[in-house]
Amino acid sequence: MKLAFLVFSIILLVAFLPRYECRAIETPGAVQAASAPQSGLQKQSLPILLRLGEEFFFRLGNANQNPPVFMSPDRSSTTVKRALQLQLTQRLLQGKVGNIRRFVSSYADQLDDSMERGKRGDDPPISLDLTFHLLREVLEMARAEQLAQQAHSNRKMMDIFGK
Amino acid sequence: MQSAFYKRGVLVTVSLLSSVYRWRSAMSVTFRVQLYFFLLSLSALKGHSRYLEENEITPEGLFSLLNSELKRELPEDFIYRRPLRCLDMVATEGQFTFTADRPHLNCAAFFIGEPNEIISIEYNNVNIDCDGGDFIKVFDGWVMKGQKFPSSQDHPLPLYERYVDFCETGSVRRVVRSSQNVAMIFFRIQNARSGFSITVRKLINPYPCNIISQTPEGSFTMVIPQQHKNCSFSIIYPVEIQIAELSLGHFKDFPVKRAVPGCAGAGDFVELLGGNGVDTSKMFPVADLCYSFSGPAQMKIGCENTVVRMVSSGKFVNRVAFQYRLLDRNELQKIKGNNVEDFCFTE
Repeated sequence: MKLAFLVFSIILLVAFLPRYECRAIETPGAVQAASAPQSGLQKQSLPILLRLGEEFFFRLGNANQNPPVFMSPDRSSTTVKRALQLQLTQRLLQGKVGNIRRFVSSYADQLDDSMERGKRGDDPPISLDLTFHLLREVLEMARAEQLAQQAHSNRKMMDIFGK
Repeated sequence: MQSAFYKRGVLVTVSLLSSVYRWRSAMSVTFRVQLYFFLLSLSALKGHSRYLEENEITPEGLFSLLNSELKRELPEDFIYRRPLRCLDMVATEGQFTFTADRPHLNCAAFFIGEPNEIISIEYNNVNIDCDGGDFIKVFDGWVMKGQKFPSSQDHPLPLYERYVDFCETGSVRRVVRSSQNVAMIFFRIQNARSGFSITVRKLINPYPCNIISQTPEGSFTMVIPQQHKNCSFSIIYPVEIQIAELSLGHFKDFPVKRAVPGCAGAGDFVELLGGNGVDTSKMFPVADLCYSFSGPAQMKIGCENTVVRMVSSGKFVNRVAFQYRLLDRNELQKIKGNNVEDFCFTE
């Protein structure tokens, strides 16, 4: 009985646990909320289990629009900071901001690194311009040297162990 | 003396055995067991001992890798030594010294081993002016005309990690090991009398992946044992390839009729590539094989570089056995004449 109650409460907690991550879901109702942030929240057709911060993120995630950032005095400053950060990241990804390295945010950094590597891509920084013909010549010389060296070392071994 | 002891032991054994046979019923079981054990140990004394040498690299046996390097320290006069040239190819083990008599701005040395070997380069004495612009960089693979072998798709490391710069890491990392049978070194030495010395060793690689063939003719069997990777065998000559056996997947699987013609979507297949560079991702697929078969299938590829590449999903043990021989000038001209396409001439 106690165990069942515990399990049930854990499930409830997990299901309704407030989440701090942002989800990139686009909602058509989000654009209209720009004009009336406070009262509009309740009127929007958003999922029930939504926090203020998340609703804010949805508006930012709306494709290629630059909605004005609403700084309501009721909102917590951390939420606002996070929202700004995410908007910045989005702009960086879109390439609208110049120097990426100026903005130190762990999320932005990770993305930036993988993107840079992808762009730098496959060009080796140091290369040698050699024709295949020349490469084959040098390879054949090396091969001859290897065979000669092997014969020499075999002869040496035979001299030592054959005594 | 040992033989006398042995003879005595044999006599004792024989006499004991005969008495045991006579008194079998009279003795208890435990006594019989003890007696047999005694007789067994007597006969084991005569056994030959063998020194087993392990020289394969296995995930569990990584220490054997270190040991094998130590074991192969030959005495000083057995090490092959010679000076290194500004453009050089090295196929042997040994110590190679480069001394600059004048400024050398762009030098490179290629290293190549047998298909089942990997190259290990150790810096011995390095006397260069890092701050003045000198450098020594070891590259894990070969780079030619902006193309690298193995390609980025087939190599475990990202590109920037494949270059190991002595000026940055030399004091910490004195031994650099390649992932396949080829490696190369780029160096720039601007002052006369500066130079460096390296020792090249070859280590055994039991499942070689990404190989450049030293010879225009030969044969090879490539095995990918249930690993998700792509392996290429590159022959830098125009050759005729004859595939003797191809085994993709479990032995009992027979080829199922594919919904899509060709090998599109197959997780395990072998492709033959031809091209004029060393990068396998920039070469043209000449043939795709995704059914197991045995019995020779041959193809003449008249390109500068011919590659047999196996793509493996990791679910099966895949194996391809093939041999190759150099195309002579008549054959090359014939292929050239028969084809309209310009990239490379195949038949």
